[in-house]
Amino acid sequence: MIHNPQAAAWLVWLESSAVAVAMRQWLWLYPAVEIVHIVGIVALVGGAVMFDLRLLGLSRGLPVAALAAHLLPWSRVGLGLVAVSGLLMFTAHATEWAENPAFRVKLLLIVAAGLNAWVFHRWPFRSVGRWDREVPAPPRARAAALVSIALWLSVIACGRLLAYL
Amino acid sequence: MIASVRFAALALTLTLALVLTAVPAPAHHGWSSYDSGNTLNLTGTIKESGYEHPHGYIRLEVPGKTWLVVLAPPSRMENRGLPRAGLTPGKTVTVVGYPNRTDPEEMRAERITVDGKTTELR
Repeated sequence: MIHNPQAAAWLVWLESSAVAVAMRQWLWLYPAVEIVHIVGIVALVGGAVMFDLRLLGLSRGLPVAALAAHLLPWSRVGLGLVAVSGLLMFTAHATEWAENPAFRVKLLLIVAAGLNAWVFHRWPFRSVGRWDREVPAPPRARAAALVSIALWLSVIACGRLLAYL
Repeated sequence: MIASVRFAALALTLTLALVLTAVPAPAHHGWSSYDSGNTLNLTGTIKESGYEHPHGYIRLEVPGKTWLVVLAPPSRMENRGLPRAGLTPGKTVTVVGYPNRTDPEEMRAERITVDGKTTELR
């Protein structure tokens, strides 16, 4: 059943595709993809938030640069997992999700979180050598960390609310 | 700091704008969207069915009306002994469930009786 046959043509096409039909009709594909999505969230948001907490001043003995090198590659792996699994789930219900307010807000928040990370790496993180250990991170690094935590938690909230709005 | 704060303010403004302008989609997934104080007991003919995620469904024709009846995830129905073939169009089935609070055409089934066998769907 196409949720909204009057939706934009590309959404109807996506929802009618073989992948979308398989997602809806194969008994265990949808739950399997959901499990991958949750594992991806753990890696992405877990890595990002643990790093953010260090920027905010927790565990000051841990070098920021080394922690970034350890955690952030896992966040990138997580991003890959959520992107692929998320796209599959979107395909299955494209016309329905596209008009869902929680979904639209979620996409916007993801873009915002990405920009925040990009700004952080381009700017405050450059001087990490001066505040790597035992020194408070500069205010703009701490601000980026707070914004990051708030955005990622909001993304998770929107993702869960998709099914209820 | 200023750039980050400005950015956070921008993100918040855009989010609010989006929430306020988005057309509210009809809510229909959680059980709370259905009026459990109003139990429906319907027997009719399946006109169309979907053994699909996230929830299976049937279009059930009863005298004077065709309901969209939301069922359970297909994996759950399969596990509880209601296979895809149980929902073949043309069959006569009985559903017990609750009407959607906002969509008068839709109800969610608590249980369904097919070929004399009742399957709990919650």
